[in-house]
Formats: sequence, C-alpha cells, structure tokens
Amino acid sequence: MSRQEKIIITGAEDTVRIESRVLEERIQEAVEQGYRKIGVQSFGQHGIGGRLWNSDSETVEIDIYGYSGQRIGSMGSPTTYIEVHGPASDDVGWLNAGATIVVHGDATNGVGNAMAQGKIYIEGDIGARGMTMTKSNPHYTPPELWVLGGVGDSFAEFMAGGVAVICGFDSHYRDNILGHRPCVGMVGGRIFFRGEHHGYSEGDAKLVGISDADWGWLTENMQEFLKAIRCKDLYEELTRERSQWRLLVARQPHEKARKKRMAMSEFHSRVWDRELGKGGLIGDLSDMDRSPVPLITTGVMRRFVPSWENHKYLPPCQTGCPTGIPVQKRWELIRKGKVDEALDLALMYTPFPATVCGYLCPNLCMDGCTRAKHFLPAIDVTVLGKAGSDAHEPKPARPTGKKIAVIGGGPAGISVAWQLWMNGHEPVVFDRADALGGKITSAIPHSRFAKELYEQELKRVADKISYRKLESGLDSGTFLEIRDSHDYTVIATGAQIPRTLNIKGYKRALTALEFLQRSKEDRIKPGKNVVIIGAGNVGCDAATEAHRLGARDITLLDIQEPASFGHERKQAEMAGAKFLWPVFTRAITAKGVELADGRFLKADTIVFALGDLPDVSFLPEGIDLLKGYISVDEAFQTTDAKVFAIGDTVRPGLLTDAIGAGRKAAQAIHARLSGTDDTFDRLPPIDTRRVKMEYYDPRIKTGADLGQCASQCASCGGCRDCGVCEVVCPQQAISRRDLQQGDYEYVVDENLCIGCGFCAGACPCGVWELVENTPLG
Amino acid sequence: MEPVGTLHPSLLSQKDLLWHISWDKQKCALCGHCTAVCPVRAIELGVHRKREIPITLGLSEKPKNVYGVYHGIRQITDPAHACIGCGMCSLVCPNSAIYPVRNEETDKLKFHINAGGEPRRRGGRRNDSASVLDRIKFVRISMLTDPALDAGRHEFELRTLLGRILPPEEAVKPSSQTGWIPPVREIYPLIIGGMSFGALSPNMWEGLQMGVAYLNEELGMPVRMCTGEGGCPPRLLRSRFIKFVILQIASGYFGWDEIIHALPEMKEDPCAIEIKYGQGAKPGDGGLLMWHKVNKLIAAIRGVPPRVSLPSPPTHQTKYSIEESVAKMIQSMYMAWGFRVPVYPKISATTTSLAVLNNLARNPYAAALAIDGEDGGTGAAYNVSMNHMGHPIASNIRDAYLNLVKIGKQNEIPIFAGGGIGKNGNLAANAAALIMLGASGIQVGKYMMQAAAGCVGSEGDRCNICNIGLCPKGITSQDPRIYRRLDPEHVAQRVVDVYSSFDSELKKILAPLGRSTSLPIGMSDAIGIDDYHTAERLKIKHVV
Repeated sequence: MSRQEKIIITGAEDTVRIESRVLEERIQEAVEQGYRKIGVQSFGQHGIGGRLWNSDSETVEIDIYGYSGQRIGSMGSPTTYIEVHGPASDDVGWLNAGATIVVHGDATNGVGNAMAQGKIYIEGDIGARGMTMTKSNPHYTPPELWVLGGVGDSFAEFMAGGVAVICGFDSHYRDNILGHRPCVGMVGGRIFFRGEHHGYSEGDAKLVGISDADWGWLTENMQEFLKAIRCKDLYEELTRERSQWRLLVARQPHEKARKKRMAMSEFHSRVWDRELGKGGLIGDLSDMDRSPVPLITTGVMRRFVPSWENHKYLPPCQTGCPTGIPVQKRWELIRKGKVDEALDLALMYTPFPATVCGYLCPNLCMDGCTRAKHFLPAIDVTVLGKAGSDAHEPKPARPTGKKIAVIGGGPAGISVAWQLWMNGHEPVVFDRADALGGKITSAIPHSRFAKELYEQELKRVADKISYRKLESGLDSGTFLEIRDSHDYTVIATGAQIPRTLNIKGYKRALTALEFLQRSKEDRIKPGKNVVIIGAGNVGCDAATEAHRLGARDITLLDIQEPASFGHERKQAEMAGAKFLWPVFTRAITAKGVELADGRFLKADTIVFALGDLPDVSFLPEGIDLLKGYISVDEAFQTTDAKVFAIGDTVRPGLLTDAIGAGRKAAQAIHARLSGTDDTFDRLPPIDTRRVKMEYYDPRIKTGADLGQCASQCASCGGCRDCGVCEVVCPQQAISRRDLQQGDYEYVVDENLCIGCGFCAGACPCGVWELVENTPLG
Repeated sequence: MEPVGTLHPSLLSQKDLLWHISWDKQKCALCGHCTAVCPVRAIELGVHRKREIPITLGLSEKPKNVYGVYHGIRQITDPAHACIGCGMCSLVCPNSAIYPVRNEETDKLKFHINAGGEPRRRGGRRNDSASVLDRIKFVRISMLTDPALDAGRHEFELRTLLGRILPPEEAVKPSSQTGWIPPVREIYPLIIGGMSFGALSPNMWEGLQMGVAYLNEELGMPVRMCTGEGGCPPRLLRSRFIKFVILQIASGYFGWDEIIHALPEMKEDPCAIEIKYGQGAKPGDGGLLMWHKVNKLIAAIRGVPPRVSLPSPPTHQTKYSIEESVAKMIQSMYMAWGFRVPVYPKISATTTSLAVLNNLARNPYAAALAIDGEDGGTGAAYNVSMNHMGHPIASNIRDAYLNLVKIGKQNEIPIFAGGGIGKNGNLAANAAALIMLGASGIQVGKYMMQAAAGCVGSEGDRCNICNIGLCPKGITSQDPRIYRRLDPEHVAQRVVDVYSSFDSELKKILAPLGRSTSLPIGMSDAIGIDDYHTAERLKIKHVV
C-alpha cells in the first residue's frame, strides 16, 4: 500500500529542535504508512535515513535538507536511497548494510566506517578515517565509496572489503588526496585513486596495475556515480586517461609479514663494508678469516686433535723397576708369540732375569701395575722370570778396546760388567773372592732361589768377563793402580761392615753376614733359641736359616715396626719367628738378651741384623763420602770423574737397585766413551687413568702361564694394535699404516676428524690422547 | 669414577656437581658431536664393563656371569671439568640423547671451586632471578580519560635526551649571552651498554655495531651503543658510524691512544663520552680481561702485550676526591672534542649515588649520570662481588630522580639506568618501569647477548664462562675456532629484531597513557606494585 506522494518531515516544532528519537519514530511511521518518498528537514538529528527495512522491499527515497547530523543512513537498508542536499556530518553510512547515500557536498570524518554493503557517493572531499573497518560479506555485493575530491588522514584503516574510488577532482587536499598514512591495517578491498599522494602503509597495501576489467568496471560505474551527484559533464575528464588512475589493494598475509627492508647481507656489503673498507671493522688490523664455521668442525678448525702417543710414556711396571726392565714390552712380545725374544730382551737389562726377577726380587714392577688400581691382580712377573733361563746369549757390539775396571764381583759389579761387555768394552772384575757371585752366592739362603738356574746365569757371565782375584785385598795403593791403568773404574764392593750395637756383651753376638755365610755352608748349629736383633729382610733370612738348622724359638727384635716384607718375611713367619717391637736391648749375656723394659729373652745364638756399611778405607782423597757411603750423582759418577760407584757402596738397596745402578753406570760410561747422550729411561710415566681396565675380565686370575699373563697385560702407553680406535672413530678418520720392518702406526685424517676424542676415550692402552689444537689468532 | 677410590676432600661425585649429564644409551648414535663441542671437556667417551647374570626359569641350568663391554658418554667429575650446563651437547645431538640437568640441592662443587686458595671467578650474572622491576605493573590505563592511543596504528616518537638541558630561563637567552650551549643528543631510550672489544668477540662486536648502524640508517631509530673499556677499532673511529657510538673511558685507559690519534681524522663526533667509575656487576672492583682472551688483535687494540691478564684498577689513578675526579675528567673529555660532545659519568648503584648526583648538578658540564645496578653482567669478576655486592637499581634510580625533583633539576640532568633490565626476558616492561621511576633511558648488555647472539646464560648459574674465552656461542671468545660460529650479519639482524619488537612493546605500554611523543619519565602515578613496603619505598601505588 505504497503512497506515491512525498511527505516532508521536519526536525523542529515551533522552532524547537525535536529529539533524534522522535524524528526517527516519525520517519519510521511514514514508511509504515506507505510513504516511499520522504523529505526530511534536518536540524542535526542523529542517524537519519537508517534502518528503513519495513518497506515491503520497495525503495524508499529520503531527501535530507538542512543540517544533516551524524551517522546519516547508519545501518542502512538496501531499499533506502538517501540524498543529502548539502554537506554531511560525521560517520555517513556507519554500519551501512545496503543503502545508497549521496552527499551533495563535503562529508566530515568517518564516512563509511564499518559499512558492509551499499554505496556512498560524495560530491566533494571527506574528512579523516573514511572507509575504515569496511567489510566484505560473500553473500552480498561489497560496499562502495565514491569521492569526487580527496580524503582526509587515516583513510581506509583496517579496511577489509569494498571499493573506494577517489577521483581527486577539485579537492581541498590538493597535493595529497589520500591524506596522511592511509591503509594502515588494510586487509581487503580496492582503492582507485587519481592525483598526488604522500604514500600509504606499504606493509599493508600495494599498488597494482589497472586491468582492462578494472578499467571497465571503473568507467561503467563512474557514470552512475556522476549521474547521482549530477556531474555527468565530468565523465570525459575523469575517464580520459587510464594512466591518471592508480589502484591500491591489500597485501596478502604472506606479503604482509614485513615491510620490505634491505637484507642485512646487502647492508653488510653495500653500506657497512663500503664505509669501513674490506674486511669490515678490523679488516685493517687482521687478515684472519672470520667467516662463519659450523659447530662441528674438521681440520684446522678443530678445537682438539687426537695424538697417537705410542711409547711416549713409560708404563708403571717399567717405571717401578729399579733395573728399568721393559716388562710390558716383554709381555707384548709374548702376545705376538715371540717368547724367545721376550726372554732375550731381559738379558739386555739384567744378567739375572731368572734368579732376580723370578725369585729374589720383591717385584716392584707389580706394585705399580695399573690392574691393581682396579682391584685386579697384578700381572705376575715371576712367571716370566722363572722362564728366563732359556734366553739366548746376546752378541756383544764391536770391540772398542776400552778397558773398565769393576771392583767387586757381586750383583752390582756383574751388572755393570755385563752391560759394558754387551757394548763392546772390556770390563775386568776384581774381587777378593775366588769367583764372581757376591752375596747371592755367599749369603742368600738357597731356599730363596733355584740354585741350578743361578749357576747357569752366573756361568753365562763368567764365561765372558775377565776376573782377577785380589790376593792381597784392597788398599788405596792397589786402587790407584787399578784406576790409573783403566779408562774407567767402577766401585761395586758392596757393604761389608756389619752394624752392631754398642751394648754390654755385644761381642757375644754374630753378625747376620757371618751367620748367613756359615749357615749356608752348614758350618753352624744355632741351638734351640735364637734372637735376631733387627727385623728387616736380612734378619728374616737369618731366622729362616736358623729354623732350617734346628732352631725352634726364634725372636726378631726391632725398635720400630719391622721393615721386612715379601718372601723373606713370609718365610720367617712360616718358620715360626716372633716379631717384637718396639723394644730396646740393654745387654747381651751368656744366657740371652736383656731388654730395656727388664724382660729377658733366652738365646743360644744372637745375631745382629742391623744392616751393613761399605768399607771405604781404600778410597783415595778426591772421592767424597756422604754419611758413610760414596757420594755419586744421578749417573753414579763419584767426585772423581774417572770413577763410578754403585750398589751398596752408594746406598743400601735391593738386588734390583744394584743391578739397575750397574746398568745406569754402564750406560753413562758408554755414553762418555762414545760421545753420546745417556738418554735412557728419561720418558715420563704414563697417567694410568688413561688406561681402560674395563676391557678385561675380572674373573681371570693371572699367573697360570705366560700366555694368560700376556693377554691380561693392559699394555699401558703401548699400542696393542687392537684396532678399537679405528672402529670407534665416528668419522672413520683413523687408519693403521704399515711401516718398515713390521712396524706400524695409527694415523688420523684431519679432514675427517672432528676432535671428539672417542679414540682417546676408548683406547685400552691409553695411547691416544686428545690435545688442544695449536692456537689461532 | 676414581678407580682407586682414594679419598681427598675435593673428590666429587656426579651427585655433587651443579649440572648432571643425562645420557640415554638407547638413543645415542655415538657420533662424537657432544664431546667435540663441549666447551669445558665435561664429557668423554667412557668404556663400561657390564655384568649380567642370566638365570634360566626354574633354575634348570646352573647360572653364570656374562661380562660385556659397551661405550657411552661419561661425565667427568673433576671440578676443573665440571659441566657448566650450557647445553651445547644437546644442541648438536642428532637424537636428543644428551642434555644437562640442574642439581636441585646445593651443589658441593661450590665448596671446592677454590683450589689453590683462588676464589671462583666467572662471567655472567648474579644468579638471582628475583626482580622488583618484574613486579611493577602499569596501572594507569586511560581508555576514556585521556586520549588513549593505538600502539599499532599511531605514530610514536620514542626519543630521549642525553646531555645537559638548560633551564628555560637560560635556554631562551641568546647564545651571545650564554656563551656555550651544552650539546644534547636526541637518542633512542634503549642503549646497548658498555661491553668492550675484547670482552666480546670481534664477530659479536661487529654484529652489534652493524645492527646499530642498520637501525639508524635504514629504520631511522637513533640507537646508540657504548664501547665499554677496551678502545675502539681505528676504522670505526674514522667512519660516519662513530656518531652512533658512545666511547667509554675507564680506569685502565685501554685503547685511548688510538682514539687520540684518530681525533684529527674523525668524520663525525661520537654520540657521547661515558666515564666509567663503577660497574654494577662488581662494584668496588675494576675491569678484568683474563689472559685467555688477550690475543694479538686485542693486545694491539688495547696497546698491551698479548696473553696477559688485564685488570683495570677499581678507581681512576691521580684523582683523589669526588670533586676532583668528576670535574677533572669531565673537563678533559669535553676538551678533546671541542666541547661538542656530551660527557657523563657512569657509577655502580650505591647508597652514595646521591652525593655524586648532587655534585653533578652543580657542575654545568655534566651531561647525565648513568647508574648501573647490582644485576649488571660482566665478562669476568669474583663470584663474591657478583653475587653479594651492589645496590638494586630501582630504588637507587628513584632516589636519584626524586632528589632532582627536590632541587628542581629533574628536566636538566638525565639519569640512565642499567643492570638487570630484562633479566627474566621482560625488557620493555622493565625499561618502562624504570623510565616511570625517573630514568631517561636504559642501558642493556646481557639481554643483547641473549637475544642477539643466543647467550645461554641464566640466573641459574648456567654457563657463565665468559671470562675464559670458551663461550660456546662465540660471543665472548677470542678464539676464531669458536667465535666464527657467530655470523655478524645474524647478530645484526637480531639486534634489529630486538629493537623493533622492543619498540612495539614499549608503545603498547605507553599508548594507554596517551604518550606518543615524550617519554613518561618519572610518571610514577602510572605504576604500582603489590608489596606495600616496596610501594612506600619507591613512592608508587600499592596495588592489590
């Protein structure tokens, strides 16, 4: 029931402005009544022309005269057509859902804010924040805003849809028809514009070319716009040049991520290095390459490098052996099946590999054995020692013609003579005894070693070394004669003067040396009760011998905890010997020994076993003494450069100490005679923490046979050629390389190695070590 | 494991260490990456013997031992190789089979890290994550009462002034009457604080400087960076980039001859001169560059022999009173650049800060005061200094600002705050809090290392080996094998990212206050804290 006539509704009654609510009610009522053409005389009322959806789908035309008020056509309906006959206030078409709104003049801020459908035609400029928050709903035609002039600041903020056309005709804005910072937050829609501008939010929008379809749309719809604002005559001017028009569209999300900036690499080369020069900040101070490297590096950029330190350190067994026998090397030879070589090797170090290593030595090599630190039994070297008698005789070096006198035919003298003989020199041993041998022959009980083996070993030496008996003993005249007729002289006379105690009745006691010498030849009957003063190893030997000869109550006395150990101690204990300490003796009587605390020990035989001092009465001036012993340097040279002194003349010690001293002295003499350095045994000991005992089965007890002993030796510091490193290297950088004469080495390809140290971590023998690479820069 | 089990007091087990290595035999590929990368050799390949006793069900067969050997990663417990928790092993592990785990109880290592009577020295931070700044809230949100701004949409000009600002009555006088107008720089309020060339690796230093140059020249952000005490590479001195640099002079005077030689050839003036009297991380102690890091290059720039430790004295020599030290140094440094470059002192936060500030207030040449709080970082210091000495920054800055208000000079001498800003990652919030407490700008160091270069240091005593040249990220190392891990371009890019995001966050805090063109310096009505006594002390709102 529409009515064709136009109704005029005025916003004032009796010159008084009516409330927006009342005007709104009257307009809605007119539409309800069927009016489709409504003129509104406005006095600035709010929201005129909006929400007119009760027109039965018929178009309602609203003409607004006067002061148009804010939010013209807000929430407008598609069937509403509004014409504002003059300028418009803020928010024209706010939340427009379809109305067409024509403004014959300028519009202020907020035109088309949040509109989703409909059209707004402006015959002039608009203020700030036009076309902001506009929407694009796929179910409806998108909104349009046409502006004949230009737009104010912050245009199209958060625009999400629709089309804006800014014609730039006769605008107040002149040189910037898009206003300050348009398109911030724009995510959709298109903006056609014509005329100068001062940029837009480049992070959000971009200029694109105008396609034929775009141009077709623009020129076609331009006619409708110009018709609506009654400016058809401008059509020619506005559509003459496609090139006058530009098109802004929103960036796609993937384009939007960041405003295009200069890449840092470009800045580096084009700005930074250009200003500073090649190499940047410190290019003038250093030509060091500073380009990036990865975390895992090879070659020169490795922080650590592996080092195959084969036999660069001494194993603890060799370090511990005073003679310096390469025990580990012998086991290695046995592992390789070279049993003979292993036995022969010992002869290069000692003339008594069987007697001493196998029987008489406390085997200091075993004390330091790495296995012991891991609660595993040390490798039993006596097994190897006892097998030593089968050794081949070494061949001496070419004769040098140099003569060396060795005074004393005991273990020390024999050792030095043996070493000198092997080096091609001519040693001569002088002694008061009938033959070579010294204390092993004369004083050490037979129970302690295998007599036949010893004799075999002694013969091996005696066959090669000249021996001269000193019929009239040794005095300084004889000594000087010997010294002056030889290239070098070695004093190895041992300690022959037993210590005794200056107590009452001391003459009733025997010295250990006397007792042992006589007992060895069964020339003494010690009786049932024996007291030995001094509970060291010699005292223990005396106790064992006394027991063998029938004694049953044997007591060893000491002023402190007895220093005896090893076989000697064990055998004495087995003989039932009692150890008393700390005790002090007051006197010796015919019946026995009186102690300071008043006790009395019955004794048939009393023995002093308090150690022996060397006889130095024959020494000429110029050879210095130190506390009763001959003073020597590291190489056993005395203060007379032509004279060396070894064994018990220098300090009391074990057989192995005497033999080692002989070897070292011989080495020093040989070095002096041949003009070389005596560099033997100078390698540092290995840090046994490098050796991995976890590879060994803790259930295996060594000592069964040579083969088993050899297999369980950890070979500290010496490569076992097991190949664990080759396998464990994650880079396959390690390989084994054959050298001449069956020798080999393991090498690292530095272009593969990353310096992880796995080789060092896994090496059973502690041969590999990870060391810091040479510093750079 | 100690094979012999011989005990000595400093023998530690894995349980006694701060960091435990967790290693998963199942996942491990035995690739060697972790042991190759570990900076302190805390891990090695270990050989392990394993015994199994397989028993047949029903005991039908006689049981037996089965011994075997396997290889795996083992942690070394020697204090010299104690794990530092840097996590590089985890970073390079292809199978995530290894990572450090922090010991929950007090580690025993702490009691033994003084072998030979030498107390622990380290780099890094205070190892205390507590932060008053983190607890400060911005409680004035002006939706309708002030013209609230949109941080994302509105334009902001976040700038601060470095230099002595004349009071209005002086400023309006013509220069013929005033004689000299103090130089003032308009700079970005977040400054990269003094970290020396030497403390930092060349790649790190160059990356930071490059990033700063980019921010200035490409993004128009007037960001400034202080050199720290260690001189400045001659090329930088002679480049236009020097205007982005604050040159530091400290008690060691390292590298200053190079600067003097460059003076006649400089294209631009530096931004400012900072005179370092103290450092928040180790108040009362001087600088220290340990010998590990003094290679030929560093030695050349500093003018010292290579491979020597370089301590700076705790105080400047030849200065015997506060009046003298400050006045003499400020005069000399102004003169060097013809009174065109602002000169200001930097001190450690202390209960005596106000005495210094009042002195500066009377000296018309003093351009600013920088105060470094206890949470500042360092490349090397005694642990005891780092952990137990120094003054928190918040109350010190507040006292200083309120003191200026009292004497009416709060707009004349800017105060810059440093030390612990962003220590828990809250850079913009901490910076804004300090600005509202009265700071004109903020200096940060550690934050830059973490954000721009991936420093793994934390307040939980992680890594902290900046002093010995083994920084696993190449930030504080002078060893090319390590510092070449760090690409200066990547650092520069991260500096740009950090500043861009800081800028956005700072805007988010300032926009609701309606501030877009001037910093809310001292605007303490906008902040509050939930602790009554702290609120009282700082004279801010108590909010619960």
